[in-house]
Amino acid sequence: MKYDCVIVGSGPAGTVTARFAAEAGAKVLIIERRAEVGVPVLCGEGISRKIDNWGMIEGTRWIAGKMEGARIYSPDKTCVTVSAKFGGDETGYVVYRDIFDQELARHAVKAGAKIMMNTKALGLIKENGKIKGVKAKHLDEEIEIKADIVVGADGVDSKVGNWASIETTLKPNDLETCCQYTFTNVKNLDYFCEFYLGKEIAPGGYIWIFPKGKNIANVGIGILASLSEAGMAKKLLDKFIEKEERLKDAQPIRFLAGAVPVALPVETVRDNLILVGDAARHVDPITGGGLTHCLEVGKIAGEVIGKAVKEKNFSAEFLSEYETRWKEAIGKKMKRNYMVKEILLDMDDKTFNMLADSLKDYDFDEISTIGIVKALVKKHPMLLMKLRPLIKVAKES
Amino acid sequence: MGKPKAKVDETKCLACCGCISVCPQDAIYWIASKAVVDSDKCISCAICIRTCPIGAISGEGF
Repeated sequence: MKYDCVIVGSGPAGTVTARFAAEAGAKVLIIERRAEVGVPVLCGEGISRKIDNWGMIEGTRWIAGKMEGARIYSPDKTCVTVSAKFGGDETGYVVYRDIFDQELARHAVKAGAKIMMNTKALGLIKENGKIKGVKAKHLDEEIEIKADIVVGADGVDSKVGNWASIETTLKPNDLETCCQYTFTNVKNLDYFCEFYLGKEIAPGGYIWIFPKGKNIANVGIGILASLSEAGMAKKLLDKFIEKEERLKDAQPIRFLAGAVPVALPVETVRDNLILVGDAARHVDPITGGGLTHCLEVGKIAGEVIGKAVKEKNFSAEFLSEYETRWKEAIGKKMKRNYMVKEILLDMDDKTFNMLADSLKDYDFDEISTIGIVKALVKKHPMLLMKLRPLIKVAKES
Repeated sequence: MGKPKAKVDETKCLACCGCISVCPQDAIYWIASKAVVDSDKCISCAICIRTCPIGAISGEGF
């Protein structure tokens, strides 16, 4: 078996990379250890409205609900409402991730990519120190897949990176540990994504309610692993659910656990190798959202792979165009948001309450930095002092 | 007797990848979509135990 490019993992980062590499003429194989693309869903299923402008997915089958905005609740339950016009970058749609992933896979296949299911990567094939492909197990059979480029799209627990001596082990303060119920028969839902903050509610993270239709919603929690104890995420989520009036008659139709990197990205290029998506930590360190990033970096990776195949140049130097371009697209924002994450972690509940109280009547349709600062100072002058590190980061970027 | 090692309750494990992502020893791997701890590599640091969102990993005496 010989391909130009073998991609480990059939999530969005893998299939979008596959699509654009195949469209650029590369012979591409995706391997997936599971038996179905997109299943099990391991995701809160929210995605930015930015996706509307990219033309990477059509139709509406993947959309569970179009959001009108977001509500952010401070620890004392003060609500800040953000309209879709302003908040759409973070909350646009709630999707059916299984269908979403399968649609992206369909586009990859249409472009000529092949997919091999039930195929688990075991290691890299190396000849004289050069990466030459992937050793894998397909069902019970060990196989060798030769390829000029290996793409690690193997998620938060990426092994491909490690095999190429890229350190991908996450520190506990760079990982959100999560679980989520999908509930049916939820009362009084509207099309707003809700976020609940607070050290008692979700230390170093948040609880979310993402509506998936009239009476279905994803209700989940993410907490920072460094602040977690065994089983804490589920316990805190269950405690929240017990008190939530709208969930009183609701029943779960799905329960899942997940892990989200909230870290700085790692190196993403070696000779004959590229990392994309969660494997490369392409996740927003504040929101934990990664879907749009996967689409953005996947397209860049695919295009660069296409060029590499045409030029027959698979060196890290040639492939570094990918790293340069993704850094231009999302690198700056990720770095800034990582700093903001660290600052937010240091803020106490009282500060969040003051923040929410200052912003609860703010018209986010006419957002401006000066306007926000004015609103903050007017109600709680002390905030200016507390938020100094944040304002510094905002100024620098 | 060595130190107690982390152990995954495979009836509870939901394959979230959290423990595997944070293990500093690369001591946790997949068998049939369940996390399994390699007790030879485990250094009893308990990071995986604290990380597991549903409490599926235990280690007596940690």
